[in-house]
Amino acid sequence: MSNSLSISSVISLCLASILLIASIFFPWWGMRFFAPQYPEGLDIIVYPYKMTGDIDIVNGLNHYIGMKGFGEDNFPELKYLPYLIGGLALLTLVTALLRQKSVLYGLIGLFVIGGALGIYDIYRWLRNYGTKLDPRAPIKVDPFIPPILGENKLANFVTESYFTYGSFILGAAFLCTLFPLWRDRKK
Amino acid sequence: MKKLIAGIAGLVAGALVSIVVFADFNGNKTTNQADTATNAQKVYVPFGQKDEYYLFASGGHSGQMFIYGVPSMRHIRTIPVFSRDSATGYGWDKHSKKMMGEYNWGDLHHPALSETGGDYDGKYLFATDVGNNRAAVMDLKTFTVKDILEVPNTGGPHCAAFVTENTEYMFLPTRFAVPFGHGYAALDEFQTKYKGVMSAVTFDESKQKLKVAYQVALPPWSFDLSDAGKKISKDWAVMTTYNTEMATTEMEINASQKDRDYIVLFNWKELEKMVAAGQYDTVNGMKMIDPAKHKGAIYLVPTAKSPHGVDVTPDGTRFIASGKLAPAMTVFSFDKAFQAIKDKKFAGEQRGIPVLDYESVMEREVNPENALGPLHTQFDNKGFAYTTMFISSEIVKWNIKTGETVDRVPVQYSPGHAAAAEGDTVSPDGKYIIALNKIAKDTYLSVGPSHPESMQLIDLSGKKMEIIQSAPVDPEPHYAQIVKADKIKPIVVYDKDEKRPDSVWTQKDTSIVRKGNVVEVHGVALRSKFIFDGKAKRKDVISVKEGDKVVIHLTNIDLDQDITHGFGINSYDLNMEIQPGQTQTIEFTADKAGTYPLYCTNFCSALHQEMSGYLLVEPKG
Repeated sequence: MSNSLSISSVISLCLASILLIASIFFPWWGMRFFAPQYPEGLDIIVYPYKMTGDIDIVNGLNHYIGMKGFGEDNFPELKYLPYLIGGLALLTLVTALLRQKSVLYGLIGLFVIGGALGIYDIYRWLRNYGTKLDPRAPIKVDPFIPPILGENKLANFVTESYFTYGSFILGAAFLCTLFPLWRDRKK
Repeated sequence: MKKLIAGIAGLVAGALVSIVVFADFNGNKTTNQADTATNAQKVYVPFGQKDEYYLFASGGHSGQMFIYGVPSMRHIRTIPVFSRDSATGYGWDKHSKKMMGEYNWGDLHHPALSETGGDYDGKYLFATDVGNNRAAVMDLKTFTVKDILEVPNTGGPHCAAFVTENTEYMFLPTRFAVPFGHGYAALDEFQTKYKGVMSAVTFDESKQKLKVAYQVALPPWSFDLSDAGKKISKDWAVMTTYNTEMATTEMEINASQKDRDYIVLFNWKELEKMVAAGQYDTVNGMKMIDPAKHKGAIYLVPTAKSPHGVDVTPDGTRFIASGKLAPAMTVFSFDKAFQAIKDKKFAGEQRGIPVLDYESVMEREVNPENALGPLHTQFDNKGFAYTTMFISSEIVKWNIKTGETVDRVPVQYSPGHAAAAEGDTVSPDGKYIIALNKIAKDTYLSVGPSHPESMQLIDLSGKKMEIIQSAPVDPEPHYAQIVKADKIKPIVVYDKDEKRPDSVWTQKDTSIVRKGNVVEVHGVALRSKFIFDGKAKRKDVISVKEGDKVVIHLTNIDLDQDITHGFGINSYDLNMEIQPGQTQTIEFTADKAGTYPLYCTNFCSALHQEMSGYLLVEPKG
């Protein structure tokens, strides 16, 4: 039975599946904008299916440097991301039912690839927004790429990018998929 | 003997020398630096913190309302109510222009905050206009005027507004007697044709509309100040009269002849019943109660000569008249008045209204030594009354129950009213009182002959009253109210209400549409541009023909705190403001052909200067 997963591993995978679904309803990533006039900060908060926060205000200010407007319409990912996550949750559940280590390896591989693609996607958007500035903008700034994580300074603004609850839950789900590797390791 | 004379001469000389050398002829007292520092700390509100109270001070003949912070005494904002204000466009935009009607100015006398259970609820502020007989209501969510009501048959509602315990009514007694409907009548017919009409005004919160519920045709006297009852006296209200002499000329002499004038004591619940029972005449569309015909709601209480203020104590048991020309305050008891009414202890009638026996209602006359010109009384939470003395220029603190004078503080100079922290409610705070001085004289840097008035903040927390701050104020607060800041909950920006008529929220929904000779614009203002027609070659230009009627609706789609846009049209004498999320409309006839720049008049952003466009008025062919 060395290739079959134990009951506690199955439970762990089921938990991972539930956590994945739960993560959809929490914000994954955000950016805060601080300026002398905005000591309280302006927010952009990204959920897998929507964007919230002070998007109109941020867009209004960003147009001065020729940045395109953020908005749900500009991010097609937000339309299918919840389904991708749901699909991954389903695969996790299937893995739990099959109780096959080889399937689990495949699942973990999917997780790693998906995570990497996700991070690359955010980077791609940030690069896109920060470098493809309208040449006719009233205020000229050098192209820039805001970091996925951490602080950046631009004109009167300091931005702070961060991962939040949804990502943490996602991380927990990933740990739950790793748990069987330890639980059912060869002794 | 010689020695004695020499001795005395020596002493006198010595005294003279010492006077010359040491006496201070300037009369300047050295200020105690420690006290000054303590007082400064009491009023200093550092950046990031806010004042504890709002002060709503009436703006008198400026027609405006002044908002101050207490204890800093910083002027925060001036809100136009009865007069036009080009800064906000009040009187130019469609809504305020309609409310202002044909009038350009007002004389805003007494503000009244709405009350629930006799306490300020921080929802609305009412005000009256002595100049043009109007009442107004301001919504304290936005600090903007929602409705203005013109009240017929009256000549200057002075002592209003005062509201009943749950803002059921606001009463507007008249200062000047006039014939019904301001009709023509010779002054020789004053006693028969002239009336001193009091109006009961209601406020419909859901429609945000004021309405005259009924009026009472009182004798042609002048009515001065007033107050509504509280708790046991909540169904009652009181107001002072002068010129019960019914003089028609040289008022300062002829209206000051009688030793006694009256306090009108009326039961508004009874008046309400009379109206419901149809006991009224209709005069110029108003339900007019004649108190001589319909008795049982109104009584007169004799009081010392030409009283100014009458104020109900926080517990609602007493009302205090301030004598003005008779240097005394008279404390009357509501319980005694109710008993006198029950026992019919009347001392005759005046024009059909029963006069109550003075001794049966009066509890005590309070006459602090040399205190002259008592005008108005406020209260604290410890059973003390504070009365302003116009002539002796001071505030006198006295015990309501014993009449004993406890403390006096000179103010600079000549206080009219005073406003204590929540000092006319059922639960005064007892922390501060502000003297609303009529004369500032040499208090501030001179700005020529037209002086500001002066407001002095007095700390009531210690044993002695102490003036801790002094602030100039534009002419001229008659009365003010001080309300705890946390009771007022203003919005920061207007809601993005996409169903609001004439609002547009995206550039692509903007339009300029012509119907006949009416050109209607639905535009947006945002940092830093106007867009009137998103599909046009020049989105920020309005082109019309000479003689067209132009209607411009503008929505400020910057839903960001303090990003206000203005909209002025150069040389067309037009300007208004649009607050974040607000939709404002301006209408005019393009009767001047030519080219007129239009621009944002309220500094909004780094590219505010560029926020402009053109109004092109094509000449008639």
